[in-house]
Amino acid sequence: MARHAAEPAALPRARERGRRRAWIVAFRRYRAPYLFILPFFVLFAVFFLYPIGFSLSLSLHEWSGFGPARFVGLGNYRLLLRDELFWGSMLNATILFLIYVPAMTLLALVLASVLHSRYLRLQGLWRALIFLPNITSMVAAGYVFRLMLDTDSGLANRFLSFFGVSPIPWLDDIWWARISLGLLLVWAWLGWNTVIMLAGLQTIPPELLDAARVDGANAVQIFRRITVPLLRPQILFAVTLSIIGTYSLFTEPFVLTRGGPVQATTTPVYQVFTSTFEYAKVGYGAAMSYVYFAVIVVLTLFQFWALSRERPAGRGR
Amino acid sequence: MRRGWSRGALGLVLALVLAGCVGGGEPEQVSTPRPGAETSGQLTVWGWDAAIKSLKVVDAGFRQAYPNITVKYVAKPPMDTYRNIQLALSAGSGAPDISVIEDSHLAQFVKLGGLADVTDLVKPYTDQVNAYRWKPATKDGRVYAMPWDSGPVAVFYRRDVFAKAGVDPASIRTWEDYYRAATVIKQKTGIPMWPQPRARNDARLLEMLLWQQGLGYVDAQGNVILDKDPRVQRTLEFMGRFWREDLSLDSEWWQDPWYKALGGGKVATIPEAVWMGTFFRDFIDPKGTGHWGVFKLPVWEPGGSQASNDGGSTLAIFEQSKQKDAAWAYVEYHLTRPESQLQIYEKTDIFPALETTYQDPFFQEPSEYFGGQKVRELFVDVVRNIPEAGVYTSEYQEMNALMASEVQSFALGKQTAQQALAKAAAAIRSRTSRA
Repeated sequence: MARHAAEPAALPRARERGRRRAWIVAFRRYRAPYLFILPFFVLFAVFFLYPIGFSLSLSLHEWSGFGPARFVGLGNYRLLLRDELFWGSMLNATILFLIYVPAMTLLALVLASVLHSRYLRLQGLWRALIFLPNITSMVAAGYVFRLMLDTDSGLANRFLSFFGVSPIPWLDDIWWARISLGLLLVWAWLGWNTVIMLAGLQTIPPELLDAARVDGANAVQIFRRITVPLLRPQILFAVTLSIIGTYSLFTEPFVLTRGGPVQATTTPVYQVFTSTFEYAKVGYGAAMSYVYFAVIVVLTLFQFWALSRERPAGRGR
Repeated sequence: MRRGWSRGALGLVLALVLAGCVGGGEPEQVSTPRPGAETSGQLTVWGWDAAIKSLKVVDAGFRQAYPNITVKYVAKPPMDTYRNIQLALSAGSGAPDISVIEDSHLAQFVKLGGLADVTDLVKPYTDQVNAYRWKPATKDGRVYAMPWDSGPVAVFYRRDVFAKAGVDPASIRTWEDYYRAATVIKQKTGIPMWPQPRARNDARLLEMLLWQQGLGYVDAQGNVILDKDPRVQRTLEFMGRFWREDLSLDSEWWQDPWYKALGGGKVATIPEAVWMGTFFRDFIDPKGTGHWGVFKLPVWEPGGSQASNDGGSTLAIFEQSKQKDAAWAYVEYHLTRPESQLQIYEKTDIFPALETTYQDPFFQEPSEYFGGQKVRELFVDVVRNIPEAGVYTSEYQEMNALMASEVQSFALGKQTAQQALAKAAAAIRSRTSRA
């Protein structure tokens, strides 16, 4: 008792020591599992943490990728603030997002509901077919799209001409090029989004749907009032990934439109790529990555916040 | 978009790879010793298919002259080759001994460093090579590459289309004449005069037309002139007339529809460098003997220049190479001997920058593919008169991309030529810190 009174600080310290010892004991006890997961963390540190830190340092330098680097402080960021092309690429990605993500998400929802239906035969086949584009090489697919969408000799316009539609400048007009890129993206990513929704659908208890049906709800009502609200987490997940994916698009515009016309389909990552690897402005490219990263984080957090404000009712399971 | 994170991470990883050696020292300026027949080595040469095919033409002779040197070629498309060079330079190892580098990208690498200083070695050939070719290879009075082929520009035209429209190519002396011919041809045959896409314009034709006038993105001091020299605006406005009046083929260059249009006589002319003839003969219009003729670029004003350049490439030796004497033996054998260059020209049609070859009777022979016209002689006449111009600067790629975007916007009718040039000039100034 007296000893405790004399050393009031000893207690937390002892507790702290005890905790640390417990940690060591735990480590000893689980040495083998830790060893097994070690390779991942080593690779993670070498290929993720170090580059992230190094890019930050790069973004403060003017460097051509070779030879001595010159420290410029926030100079790259100052230039970037006034760089119309970079902010233009942010705007492009936003426009692109609005063009294809709502349509794709809705379509994925509808498709998933259809695929989930117990009356559908050959379910596995349809699922595989819808997912197929996602595992197709984007370079090959983009090239085929490019040929099909050629204004004068492409299949798309030739097909439309049977219905008396005059040639559409698919890749030769600022807005059509964005729409064409959106089409390619929907084609490539619809399957992936459908699979997410399908996974969500399978967690919805069938009793709910049966109860609704007994109460006289029709298919559309069930879809709107039950399926969609209960699929909120999956929709949130899919849209979040789509946000990140749209801003970091590279292969698709690189193959389909080369970022044009008039830079209308140049995305932020496309800008990072050209600055770093074609113009040999490594520091500037790193600064771009950081600004772009910050924007993505803010957008994602905002979206999480906006969608988690009200939890859907009846999701207690 | 499951690949979102991993893609971002990939970019960062690449940044790491590049980051290998910030703060590396200045490359020392060493000149390699003159090689002899006993020189040995195992050389690696980077390039692309067409270039390597040409270099191989004289390899048998090279092996005889230097029995102790072996050569390994690595063929990748130009952009991949350049990216790999950049990565190898950053990493401090992995560069080849020699690479083919186009003039358009050479200045960037010369500025970057990492190419071996060959000033003393190329000195004997200074006066034997087209004078304008040394500029992108030189920095602070030192030379870092040996010019190989040049790209003298002329107008290739379809004889059948001109005949059908009743236009005599010899009557086209000025660009104004060319424009008038374009309206006649369009009227009589419905065929557009030149291939110039609106939305997917790459600004290369604008560059050729500027180069003809000794103009480019910058002047000799490196200051941007796009919005300063009225001749630039005149040139772009001239191109604008072809878009407005629908006299140009709206098709992206180097794509299938473009090849088909050229091969199928759906476009009347194309102003392009000498190497275009090779493309015609090899795969665009291989059965088209007699289809095509060539005339020199029309002038902008009476007595003006008729010579311009597009492309051109060099061989550069890398600082990383441990066998620079063998590398120079290779470069010297392939590029500086008139016999080698003539052989390469005869076999693969790569037009030599080496002027000592031009006296050869081969240049005076009529060219069968071009309907018996003495095309080679014409191009020699052009190449001797190509002016220096500020097109292939150390930031050429960036300038070209910024310019192309504004040209596209102009061609689509979204801004005037003056606005296009003002915006391109402003963007280039701020992005490359120039006046």
